[in-house]
Amino acid sequence: MNHLSYLKEQLDAQPDLQYVLSSHNWSTDFLRFYHSQTNYNISKDRFSIGVQMWRGKKSYAFAIDQPDQARIDATLAEALGIIDQLSEDPDFVDLESDLTLAAPSKVPNNIEDIPLQLKTQILQELADAARPHNFEIYGTFICNHSTSRIINSNGMDKSSTGSPIYLEVKAVHNQSQVTVLETWGGEDFSRFHLSTFKARLLDKIAHCANPVVDVDPGYYDVIFAPRCIAELAQYLAWGMSARAIDQRSSYFEGKLDTQVFPTYLSITDDPEDKDIISQDYGSDGHIYRPLKLIDKGVFKAFFCDNYYSHKTGLPKNGNTGDCLRIDAGDKSLEEMIGSVKRGLYISSLHYMNFINMKETSITGLTRDGTFLIEDGKITRVVNSLRFTDRIERIFKNILALESTANVIPFSENYDTFSISSVKAPHALVKDFNISSSTHTI
Amino acid sequence: MKALIKDILNKTNLPDVTFADVRITLTDHESIWFMNGFLRGFGNSLGSPALGIRMLVNGCWGFAGSSDLSAASIDKAVQTAISNARSGSRFMQEAVSFPSLPATQAEYHFQPKIDPFKMDKAEKLDYLQKLATAIQPQGKIVYSTVSAQFYRQEKYYANSEGSYSHCTYYNTLPQMNVLSADGNQTQSRTWPGDMSAGRAGFELFYQHDFEANTQRIIKEATDLLDAPVITEEKADIIIGGGHLALQIHESVGHATEADRIFGMEISYAGKTFVKPEMLGKFQYGSPLVNIYSDSSDPRGMGYHPLDDEGVPGRKVDIIKDGILVDQQTSRHIAHMLGLEPSSNMKGSFADDFPLVRMTNFCLAPGSGTLEELIASTEHGYLLDFTKTWSIDDNRNNFQFTTEIGYRIDDGKITGIVKEPTYFGITKDFWNACDAVCGKEDWEYYGTFHCGKGEPGQAMLLSHGTAPARFKQINVSVNI
Repeated sequence: MNHLSYLKEQLDAQPDLQYVLSSHNWSTDFLRFYHSQTNYNISKDRFSIGVQMWRGKKSYAFAIDQPDQARIDATLAEALGIIDQLSEDPDFVDLESDLTLAAPSKVPNNIEDIPLQLKTQILQELADAARPHNFEIYGTFICNHSTSRIINSNGMDKSSTGSPIYLEVKAVHNQSQVTVLETWGGEDFSRFHLSTFKARLLDKIAHCANPVVDVDPGYYDVIFAPRCIAELAQYLAWGMSARAIDQRSSYFEGKLDTQVFPTYLSITDDPEDKDIISQDYGSDGHIYRPLKLIDKGVFKAFFCDNYYSHKTGLPKNGNTGDCLRIDAGDKSLEEMIGSVKRGLYISSLHYMNFINMKETSITGLTRDGTFLIEDGKITRVVNSLRFTDRIERIFKNILALESTANVIPFSENYDTFSISSVKAPHALVKDFNISSSTHTI
Repeated sequence: MKALIKDILNKTNLPDVTFADVRITLTDHESIWFMNGFLRGFGNSLGSPALGIRMLVNGCWGFAGSSDLSAASIDKAVQTAISNARSGSRFMQEAVSFPSLPATQAEYHFQPKIDPFKMDKAEKLDYLQKLATAIQPQGKIVYSTVSAQFYRQEKYYANSEGSYSHCTYYNTLPQMNVLSADGNQTQSRTWPGDMSAGRAGFELFYQHDFEANTQRIIKEATDLLDAPVITEEKADIIIGGGHLALQIHESVGHATEADRIFGMEISYAGKTFVKPEMLGKFQYGSPLVNIYSDSSDPRGMGYHPLDDEGVPGRKVDIIKDGILVDQQTSRHIAHMLGLEPSSNMKGSFADDFPLVRMTNFCLAPGSGTLEELIASTEHGYLLDFTKTWSIDDNRNNFQFTTEIGYRIDDGKITGIVKEPTYFGITKDFWNACDAVCGKEDWEYYGTFHCGKGEPGQAMLLSHGTAPARFKQINVSVNI
């Protein structure tokens, strides 16, 4: 009998107990490189189980890494001894009851399918391509594999498997330190084309031949690379959660079915998009289905789990904003750059933080390739810049979106390491507030 | 466990392995969270095991980590670490090397005054419940939390040079927070601030005087709704210790992690404006600025008798009389820079690869009290309680917002301002320091959440500091 089955049996034997059991079997194979050479190779695995249980409105949780029966028995006995002493959470009503199963899918094990030898071959080819331009490569090449299972006392028993790949290559000029970034993420490595990846990296390197300059603070028309729009959308999405409503920190409070952005902006949380790293279930096991968040500029829905659905009255779903897609527009990147008299091309954002979440005010910096646009052409490299603005204002000031959307992978570095992705196009935004210069690249 | 770790180390004794180390950690963690006066979360994970094996083969690091300490898992990890190093060495330009160190043996076991894992649970919950009830929504307070995190880690370390250590550490993170709203805006106040963690048990709640500050944060969060913002372009600012700890962390601590000089962190945390040729010459701050890394001070969470590659804990001056004089290093990087290793290599858990991390990273005290410093300020602001932080990937351009600012006129506090925001360039800022308070106002602050590395690691570390004053800092930001 495996650990979860054993635990389920023990918990089922307790009167008036509701519970959620979960297990997570996770491994990673992680190559980190700098100056076109290995920094370190990590292989790591972890198996843990988690239990949250309720007696009435009293709740207690525990997790056991690498469980065995003796530790399970001891921890469970302690938990059962504690739970009745606790105070109640008056907002708890019931556990998730959605028993819908995701369609079965075949997920590869990319740790096995992409051995270290193949990774180093790919990186060597990229390093050899960058070096004639006096650039070296820095970054990470990661494969994860995880299997999760969630069981609850409402009859839920769901499993899911994922094996995302994340390749991030920064090419850094040996003298000027000018940096450009190319990434790829997904679960199907057959969709990775080294020649395309290399060509895109070299194309970005080619923009770095011009001198590095500072620009003054002020309001600029900017072209945001897909990575920037994706990250801004992730921050904006925080306010789209029922939890943010409950905590009185949501920009979208009172804005359901209201026109908040231009009509050409639509955002969907879409696990069914073939390019996006998918999710089968939300954190409490609810099926994860496409959810239209912004439809032609109109705010349509909040992410809402079972607990906050009871508390706020909002309809529940399994969405968490981990599969965002910003719909493409109708302009080519060349048209967008060509329309800018004097502005900036921003490749990536760094260390962004809310100043006031409800107001969506943020500060952060540009990184990994900021360029001056003059008379419709990219002309110079610009030192990194600080911006201070409101995401609300940025999205309201979108003038055009590129006709193609790109998949941008993101790694979550706090808690258990995970990889997700967002699909987004380039965007032309007017009057972006550059609040100070950094004087360094 | 000592026998096990030495047995594992023996398995790494192979002809092409030039250095190896093995770590095992057993970690307890407990988390308690009250929201709006009610217990919202209470849980723990106890005795979480982790194993890490690191080997240097052909000048390349290989590493394997696991939560499984079974014999089969250990054998697999040894083989994987070797294989990773051998494969990785095919993509190398310069081999990793460093001088050997004498073998060191160490035992250290911290004992808190009140062990949070052994104290009476009812007593613990009752105390926190009283705090949660005191700050539950009322008036314009619409949301509140009280939280506690307790952490205990037992760590074993052994390396191929014969060094061995066995240590036990306790750390606690106590916090409470209220959010006020008036329909148009929200404001927040926390206690005791963002850097509230420390090497301690439950006694940290009493040391921070939580009960005496519940009404203060309710009043201040409410008053902030009607408070003005700073309107000047530049102002003199006194930064309280809790927030100054973060300023030190971001603009000096991370900037002087020498792995950043070589680009080892470019892909995530970033690089640094510091270059090797600046050592001994660069005027980082005014002559009042003395900053050091001290992993030999047991009062801070960064204390250790040995770091995670066998370097004994030590105090290293980083900035002396305003001049940059040293770096935080690994053995490999110290060798590249011609420095002595600074004892800053740490992994959060044994299955994390050790990285150059801050330990106890401190601004040395100056003289005088905070009261005296305020009294000597003609006009300015006392800023404290971090709200937002951001710094560029060279650790050069920063911008911080605190929850509250206290306006100073003619040496007295005359009012409050909301969301005071200041920004600057690291060197200019530290050179604008014209006063650091003395020992009487110097204390340790700490965090559980210093993120670095991939896969990411959250490090627990401390900063010792007293309040300090900075002249004519940019305080005008249009949002």
